[in-house]
Amino acid sequence: MKKSHWIFTLALVFLFACDSSSEDDGKDNTDTGQNNNTTTQGEVGPDIIADILQSIPSPLEISQLIKEVSTEYNVANLNDHNNVNNYKSSFSQSLNLGVYSTDLGYCNLYNKNQDILNYLNSVKKLANDLGIGQYFDYETIKRLANSKDNLDSLLNMTQSNFERINNHLKDEKREYQSILILAGGWVEAVHLTTIVYRQTKDQVGKGGADVAKTQEKLAKLKEKIGEQKLTLEQILLVLDIYKTRQYFGGLIEDLKQLQKVYARVEITVIQKPPIIKEEGGELVVKDVTESKVNISDQDLEAITSLIQSIRSKIVTSTMSNAGN
Amino acid sequence: MKKLIFTLTLFLMSTALSFAQCDAEAYSSKCLKALAPGFTFVKSYKVDGKNGIRKVIEYTCVFSKDTNYMIRMAGKDGGAQGMIVTLYDSQRNELATSHVNNKFFPGWTYKCKATGIYYLSFSFKDSQSYCGAAVLGFRR
Repeated sequence: MKKSHWIFTLALVFLFACDSSSEDDGKDNTDTGQNNNTTTQGEVGPDIIADILQSIPSPLEISQLIKEVSTEYNVANLNDHNNVNNYKSSFSQSLNLGVYSTDLGYCNLYNKNQDILNYLNSVKKLANDLGIGQYFDYETIKRLANSKDNLDSLLNMTQSNFERINNHLKDEKREYQSILILAGGWVEAVHLTTIVYRQTKDQVGKGGADVAKTQEKLAKLKEKIGEQKLTLEQILLVLDIYKTRQYFGGLIEDLKQLQKVYARVEITVIQKPPIIKEEGGELVVKDVTESKVNISDQDLEAITSLIQSIRSKIVTSTMSNAGN
Repeated sequence: MKKLIFTLTLFLMSTALSFAQCDAEAYSSKCLKALAPGFTFVKSYKVDGKNGIRKVIEYTCVFSKDTNYMIRMAGKDGGAQGMIVTLYDSQRNELATSHVNNKFFPGWTYKCKATGIYYLSFSFKDSQSYCGAAVLGFRR
């Protein structure tokens, strides 16, 4: 065998003997609460960014509560789907893709077929504008939306498509757009919750409603708004990484003002060991921890006002024509 | 002899390359189908142990009060065989695990009563492939 063949063979052996993966999807649990992904002077590695992005809950969890406490569907509470043509920059397109994804989820829950199609078109347009439309299975979702019997499949398909979009953005090192989509979706979800809270509170004032039931609904909504303190922290952790990018500063500043109000919200937890049972071959774990969210009416009003202001900037031309 | 060594080396490298890839998306789809009716998909998780190099893969998540979360796993070994998912609270107290009495459950359902940060930790036991995926769903 020629000497060159040996050199080639040895080179290949060394190449494949090393771990060829360059991407981690989680972090090793070798150090509790710590990680090895911080690089220099506050630079945060891609694994940490991915982990935080992954941790941000879906706005659909909030939308489900809204449906649970409020029987009335009101499309006027959503961002007008026709506004989609106003968003020219990738900054505003990303934010509003998030907004419309929340609106789409909301329409899905109420099975409003025409609105689903309208918001689907808006999502498709923005996804195409951002160069990620091919990761959104528009035709399948449209087909499911036209069939009233497939709500579970519709919701799951829509959600998994948004995840596919975010995975693609991560692969292309465009996490700064992922966090904008998540932030926009979150702001819209909290905005909707504050509107429903106000509308529900008005019902008490008008009388005729079951007061006890309404008070229970109000308590749930208020608690849900207060709990967003945690999600806001996660969102700001990632947004802050991109604070030097053009136009991120304004959004971060607004959300930090909101965070100052949330600093007064107290979430207390009394931990107790859970109860574990096997039911029908399934493991069911019942958490018996007690938790309480303390949020004053004054702080709730302040949060409502700030969220509405931020949301307005996102969906109107104030923020929509910023960024490039 | 030299040709034999060369051929053997190429064969071993191609085998190593095929084992290096963990195609999680196929298993995610299986997990999604295994979510019980009424549970809405939230997130999927790639569980890639890199052929045994990575023992634990952990993800952070935010769970909400009065919400039920179901996790379903599927892997290359078949079903959830060889894979374990454990839930920890923010203080690292173990809340749930899918490996109980030497049995591999496909996941668990957690009825959350406290909003907060939680950790989903995936590990392996007697795994051949160290490869799979998991899907998290929720229901109020």
